[in-house]
Amino acid sequence: MVGMNAAWLLPAIPAGAFALLLLVRNFLPRKGDWVAIGAVTASFVLFFFVLHDLMTRLGPNFHGVSTGFTWLKIDNFVLRVGFFTDPIAIVMLAAVLVVSLMVHVYSTGYMHGDSRYGWFFTVLALFTAAMSTLVLADNLLLLYVAWELVGICSFLLIGFWWERQSAAEAAKKAFVTTRVGDVGLLIGVILLWKKVGTFDIQTVLHAATSGQIGHTYLTVALLFMLLGAMGKSAQFPFHVWLPDAMEGPTPVSALIHAATMVVAGIYLLARMLPAYMVITGLGTLIMVIGMITAIGAAVIACAQTDIKRIIAYSTLSNLGFMFVAMGAHALTGGMFHLLTHAFFKALLFLGAGSVIHAVETQEVGDLGGLWRKMPITMGTFVIACLANAGLPVFSGFFSKDLVLEGVMHGNTPYYVALLAWVFLSGIYTARLFMLTFFGPSRDHHRYEHAHESPPNMTLPLVVLAVLTLLAGWLALDSVGRALGFPGGVGEFVFVHEPEAYRFSFTVAFAATSAGLLGVLATMYLYWGGGPERARRFADYSPDVYALIRNKFYVDELYQAGINYGVLGLSHAVAWFDRYVVNDTGVNGTAQLTGWLGYRLKFLQNGKLPTYALAMIVGVLVMAIVALSMHS
Amino acid sequence: MIPLDQVLVFSGILFALGVYGVLTRRNAIAILMSVELMLTAVNTNFIAFGVFHRPSLAVGLVFAVFVITVAAAEVGLALAIILRIYRQRTTANVDEVDILKW
Amino acid sequence: MSVEQWVFYVLAAIAVGGAAVTVFARDIVRAALGLIVALLMTAGVFVLLSAEVIGLVQLLVYGGAVAILILFALMITRAREVTYRLDGPQKPLALLAGATLAAAIGVAVVGTVFPTNTDHINPVGFVEMSTALFQTYAVPFEVASLVLLVALVGAIIIARQEERQ
Repeated sequence: MVGMNAAWLLPAIPAGAFALLLLVRNFLPRKGDWVAIGAVTASFVLFFFVLHDLMTRLGPNFHGVSTGFTWLKIDNFVLRVGFFTDPIAIVMLAAVLVVSLMVHVYSTGYMHGDSRYGWFFTVLALFTAAMSTLVLADNLLLLYVAWELVGICSFLLIGFWWERQSAAEAAKKAFVTTRVGDVGLLIGVILLWKKVGTFDIQTVLHAATSGQIGHTYLTVALLFMLLGAMGKSAQFPFHVWLPDAMEGPTPVSALIHAATMVVAGIYLLARMLPAYMVITGLGTLIMVIGMITAIGAAVIACAQTDIKRIIAYSTLSNLGFMFVAMGAHALTGGMFHLLTHAFFKALLFLGAGSVIHAVETQEVGDLGGLWRKMPITMGTFVIACLANAGLPVFSGFFSKDLVLEGVMHGNTPYYVALLAWVFLSGIYTARLFMLTFFGPSRDHHRYEHAHESPPNMTLPLVVLAVLTLLAGWLALDSVGRALGFPGGVGEFVFVHEPEAYRFSFTVAFAATSAGLLGVLATMYLYWGGGPERARRFADYSPDVYALIRNKFYVDELYQAGINYGVLGLSHAVAWFDRYVVNDTGVNGTAQLTGWLGYRLKFLQNGKLPTYALAMIVGVLVMAIVALSMHS
Repeated sequence: MIPLDQVLVFSGILFALGVYGVLTRRNAIAILMSVELMLTAVNTNFIAFGVFHRPSLAVGLVFAVFVITVAAAEVGLALAIILRIYRQRTTANVDEVDILKW
Repeated sequence: MSVEQWVFYVLAAIAVGGAAVTVFARDIVRAALGLIVALLMTAGVFVLLSAEVIGLVQLLVYGGAVAILILFALMITRAREVTYRLDGPQKPLALLAGATLAAAIGVAVVGTVFPTNTDHINPVGFVEMSTALFQTYAVPFEVASLVLLVALVGAIIIARQEERQ
């Protein structure tokens, strides 16, 4: 029976597909997209076997199963390519594989006719393999390798249309920004390894929780790791790359920059959560960072006009929300929100992609009234929006409530702030679908040409919409048991003790009211006459509007920092290099040698007596030295 | 009896004179003559050490024989070269034979 | 002071005088004659040192062959007809170098304590020397004769090649 010991096949199959596509994609029919889709489908099917095996083994003493092989062995030091399967990994894997499969299918429509169609699927296959490895890695070094691999895939796919200056710039920006965090992660990994002597995550966690690592040391190492998580998950100081990453093809945004890669940071925190729980202050720090990102991004999302950027800021906002969950040690809620968010945010992006495909613009100001033309896209898109706003029935409602409940205990200010966040989410999601699908059409030419997308694009939309509607119910114990789980998600993913699902009416009511209020208020602003009322609203305070519109000028601030700080330093270094190193050091040496050579060559006058004299002088000097040393 | 150091001083004076001649003379043949002086001085040393020190074999004297042999060969060759230079450049002045400069 | 010593002083003085003429004389033929004198007197010193064979060889090779060769060379290159001075411009430096060398050798000779006797001679017998030269060092001796032969041929070729042109 294929079980958890076959977990290594999950990344191996897409990796094989990647290798195959890399070599022969141009000789395959349809540029080999079916190879990538087939590989992901195979992984997806295999995933259910692994899941089934995991569920039969679940029990009080079960932590996870590690399989793999030795990579290299130096003395006593063994490095493994190991795959560790446990509930946390399974939840993340579900998100990765489902969204990856859907995006693969969707891309056959969206990327149809692109000149690098085959290359797109090649990188997608590599990404799926790398992401599965990241999720399943049982040691920190393998995790880091996969971490960098997904970063590379992200870079390649953001810059997929590298002929466009902005795409190339965005790819560079994403790479450089995340790199800052990645270095932090590497330092953290090395620090932990130096103390514990192994990369194995479970051993490291055990060492951390049993107090084998000093508190200060552990704090520093975990802070560096947090830096990595913040870079990958685009948390506040590093958040600037994610909106620009929307330069990539929309399926990529759905897969990498919404559902999977950007939540790797949250996954890392979830993995290392027992260690983070040892240090008391770190949770608060993570919560503050997450809160700044969540609220800030939600505010910015309210004033953007690019459909993909609105969704990108919504993603940022949700990532911040998950960070808050991790900071509050609400592992269950955080991981569950990661799963549901993967579904509805991928759905949002794919829906946006469908719209872009139809009207060939990303400006919501040019859209409107599309519900008549694209009913399937509209339906699924609105479902995703309502899930994002956290309205009941939709999956976002359940996961968000789990997090809110986790945060509520002892963190009242954060709880209140998160309610405000829910309100803001309601505003921007309602604005998003009102501007896109309702109201009068503002660009008649585009409206006339708009059409519903082909089935290979609408099918993933429908599947994801169904998942968005249903996934949330997994939180309930009865649903979980009916599906073979021990109970709701709380009894599946937990830190110490399994928890039965408790429905808190207070939390649900408060959050739902906040979300609903936001949605209804925005719908009122945009209903009927289009964005006029909203524009008047913005005109109350043009300065504030400009501030939000320009994303609090963080990009400009960074640019100024680069212009004055980095470039200034570069100028100084360049000056030093040019005049000191090059002119004095390199050319100076050469000129000195040349000058000396020119001067000294006249010693070679060709006259025999001169040479003889020089020889005798040399002999004399040696003789005198020898004599004086002898006496 | 002649003491060893007196012989050595004698040969030293000869050698120093030879060196002076090599350094100061312009005529190639005069330089060659100075070299002969130096060689003779060296030979004197070989013989002096050979008879005073008296190793088991007559090494000093045998060496002197070889030095004289090689010196004879060297004089023959050097004079041939000087002749040739003289024919080509009509001079035996070493100061004027300096095409190997720079 | 023994007779031998007196003879040595006289011979050495004449030899040094001849050498001085060789290097200081303004006329090159006179210099050549000084050289011959110096070499002949040195041959005498060799005999005094009881190395009669070497002395004879010195007499034959230097006093005879080399002296004549040099005189011939002087004649062929018309060494006396040149207008320039025999000594070059670096004469003072050469004087200094020579004097320094002489002083260094003197210091070395005076300052050295020789491990063996320094005041009486152990003559090398004729048989002993012949044995060393023709038995122990037979191969180097033959090589030396080859060197002479090659030098002879080389000298002939170098000296006469120009006539072809």
